[in-house]
Amino acid sequence: MVHRTGARPRLTRFRLANGLRVVLAPEAASPTSSVWVWYRVGSKNEHPGITGASHWVEHMLFEGSPRYGKGEIDRAIVGVGGELNAFTDTDFTAYYSTVPRDYLRIPLDIESDRMTRALIEDREVERERTVIHSEREGNENWPEFRVDEELNQLAFRIHPYRWEVLGHRVDIERLTAEELREYYHRYYGTRNAVLVVAGGFAPRDVAREIRRRFGRLPPSGHDVAVRETEPPIRGERRAELTGPGTTPLLEMGWRSPALHDPKTPATMVLDTILGGDSRLFSAGGGWGRGAEHPSSRLYRALVDPGLAVRATSEWRPREYPGLFTVHAQAARGVPLDRLEEAIDAEIVRLTRTGPSRRELEDVRTKVRRGAALAYEGASRIGFRLGYFATVGSIEFEDELMRSLLRVTADQVQDRAKDLFRPDGRVVVRFTPTEANGGS
Amino acid sequence: MGPEGAPLRLEIGRPHEGLRVVRQPPPAGAASFSATYFAPAGWGFDPAGVEGTARLLNQVMASATQRLDRVQLARRLDRSGATLSHAISPEAAEFTIWGPADEWRPLLGLLAEVVRLPRYDPEDIARVRRQLLERQLRELTQPASRANSELLKLVYPPAHPYRSTGLGTRRSVERLDRARLERFHREHYTADGAAVVVTSAASLSSVERSIRGVFSFPSKSKPAHLRFPRLRARSPERRVLDLPGQSQVEIRLGGPSIPQDAPAYTAAYLGNEVLGGRPLQSRLFQRIRARNGLAYHASSDLDTMRWGGIWTAQAGTGPDRWRRVVPMLEAEVGRLRRELVPQRELSATRRSTVGAMQLALESTAEAHGLAVDVAYHELPADYLLRWPARLRSVRPVDVRAAARLAFDQNHSATIVAGPVGPV
Repeated sequence: MVHRTGARPRLTRFRLANGLRVVLAPEAASPTSSVWVWYRVGSKNEHPGITGASHWVEHMLFEGSPRYGKGEIDRAIVGVGGELNAFTDTDFTAYYSTVPRDYLRIPLDIESDRMTRALIEDREVERERTVIHSEREGNENWPEFRVDEELNQLAFRIHPYRWEVLGHRVDIERLTAEELREYYHRYYGTRNAVLVVAGGFAPRDVAREIRRRFGRLPPSGHDVAVRETEPPIRGERRAELTGPGTTPLLEMGWRSPALHDPKTPATMVLDTILGGDSRLFSAGGGWGRGAEHPSSRLYRALVDPGLAVRATSEWRPREYPGLFTVHAQAARGVPLDRLEEAIDAEIVRLTRTGPSRRELEDVRTKVRRGAALAYEGASRIGFRLGYFATVGSIEFEDELMRSLLRVTADQVQDRAKDLFRPDGRVVVRFTPTEANGGS
Repeated sequence: MGPEGAPLRLEIGRPHEGLRVVRQPPPAGAASFSATYFAPAGWGFDPAGVEGTARLLNQVMASATQRLDRVQLARRLDRSGATLSHAISPEAAEFTIWGPADEWRPLLGLLAEVVRLPRYDPEDIARVRRQLLERQLRELTQPASRANSELLKLVYPPAHPYRSTGLGTRRSVERLDRARLERFHREHYTADGAAVVVTSAASLSSVERSIRGVFSFPSKSKPAHLRFPRLRARSPERRVLDLPGQSQVEIRLGGPSIPQDAPAYTAAYLGNEVLGGRPLQSRLFQRIRARNGLAYHASSDLDTMRWGGIWTAQAGTGPDRWRRVVPMLEAEVGRLRRELVPQRELSATRRSTVGAMQLALESTAEAHGLAVDVAYHELPADYLLRWPARLRSVRPVDVRAAARLAFDQNHSATIVAGPVGPV
């Protein structure tokens, strides 16, 4: 009988002597296999002067090793019709390749090689410097990026969450190849990695292959814990930005609990009620928040009456206390003060009366139904298992889901009162300079 | 995957009141289903003076139905763990519903309701209008959007359906009202010229039966056809737009191309993969990013539609580097048109393209995308199965000949938009 996809597949898990955690998720009928390596290394492990190092290392891991010359990794995967990429976050960096199932050995070989043997040559670092500049410049073209960057800088004074994953411009200017090599050799290695293989393969054979390729790597990877503790915000912090754009933007942030805090489930419910979607358990799966959610509170309070063209909340649970944010883009002619008043009013309403029974039922339905189809396709399986294994454990997904379904209206209201303290918030407002038609 | 390549073998059903029916088997064991309705209702059909009609209607339709207001519709989708998405191009508008396989029948009914019975809630119309107005501004100020829209204006003459991005003007969008939307809906969201594509384990006869039960259109008007003014040959043109305060310069080089049913299509497809379509390995990526480190993104697109196409080669780079990047884009397009692609490069591209088909069969949603494409272009049911053989038959000389047609530089233009300084 064919296993029904959508639900989490049956897993094989083990740990190698060098510390590497391995998760195998076979789907007998899958035409593809997807290999993911998640490192518990991200911008949280940087410090001023080397901000952006994790992201830069991510680029350099495609640029060659003694075994794979420059461009050969791409050629090996793309050449068989596969796809590969990587992404860097505050708490982790993930590399993945999805290939037709017969070629699974190629990404396994690549990942076992670049886990410890990337070259990060001076010449390639110099060439990549302008590429990374260009990536940052592309982001800067969007006022949302500038607002977000400013908000994090205001909200955190000590913790590494205060800089963007791409790094400060000045650090992109000056980071050296030597510093990148040192960073790579310090943190990237078996002890800080999770290897996930999902899709069409025989688990016993692949487990043997993994032991052979990865088992010979020396144990490596320094402690990635962050020691800095951000003190609470005492008094509102604000910033006003201007620049090219369309209509004014407003972003507010409040310090939020870390992923493993007992307050996490109620905070997630709060986010779903305000923004309309559950980040980790939404229909369609994935990480981002896509479509509009007309049933959400912010949408009804801001978009429906014509104050905003977009409005949502965003809470991405992180390893350390992060930020719960509310974003809104004003409709043409609506001043930011008006938008801010409307958001404040909605938040006050939530803290005073809590969610309705129906809202809570809606959240539970979304979470339950969204999770039901979360594991369809080898690439999505690799992403989802890797995420949970990296931030905690695969069982943590089940625990979180169970806790989410048990959250009560009182807990959400208490959470709202605790979270949305006016003296603990940061606010960034963006006002566009006159729409420029270009010359 | 069950029977080898099952999702690649489509079944064409009996049309219902002119509405075409296509069924695709899902990947084996898939827990989800997907269905798409598309119709000739793209912005190329916008009536003169009320440009933006098609886009606004497309978004309003996805908001609510006569029975379900926008909150009720959202709740209905959430109750099934389903999603509803909508898209529009110059030629067509489409709606796709995705959800649990065992709810395919009620969700197909919901799709039909969205398509047939829009609500035209004044609040929805007002909200979508505000969003369109904001996007119009974005198109003026955001370098990537600005470069895209300026390119279309330069390469296509006035009244050409591909000339705009369908956002209309402030005046035209403000003029839109319910009556105009209803008229457009009556004329364009009909059975004729439209199709429903279903990726589901249900049999074709079940799918046909369900479609007959839920899709019926009161209007019997014949599908509209787009009118294409003749393109005049002219010298390639370059326009540089200074957008002060921005960080990155966006470059677009492009022009009119061939339709999907052109005999040269397969060779042109491979040509685009060689030029900039295939990630990481294409000539543009290799030359501009990998070898010279001049840009984060450098790629090309060949957007072939039913009646014509558009090609673009693009890159985003720093204000001090665009003058080096533009000639590289132009040179690589010229090389593809002028020189034979070495056999080794073509074989590698072909192998990669054939292999990539399997990745598209990972999930229902991805496989469904292939089926919609086949249905839209009215290709044979075994088109996807035969695609690898078609690719294998392409020779270097075919790519060069196709590139001369599909990457036509005689009608092309180059746009540079960003903080370039006084021009």
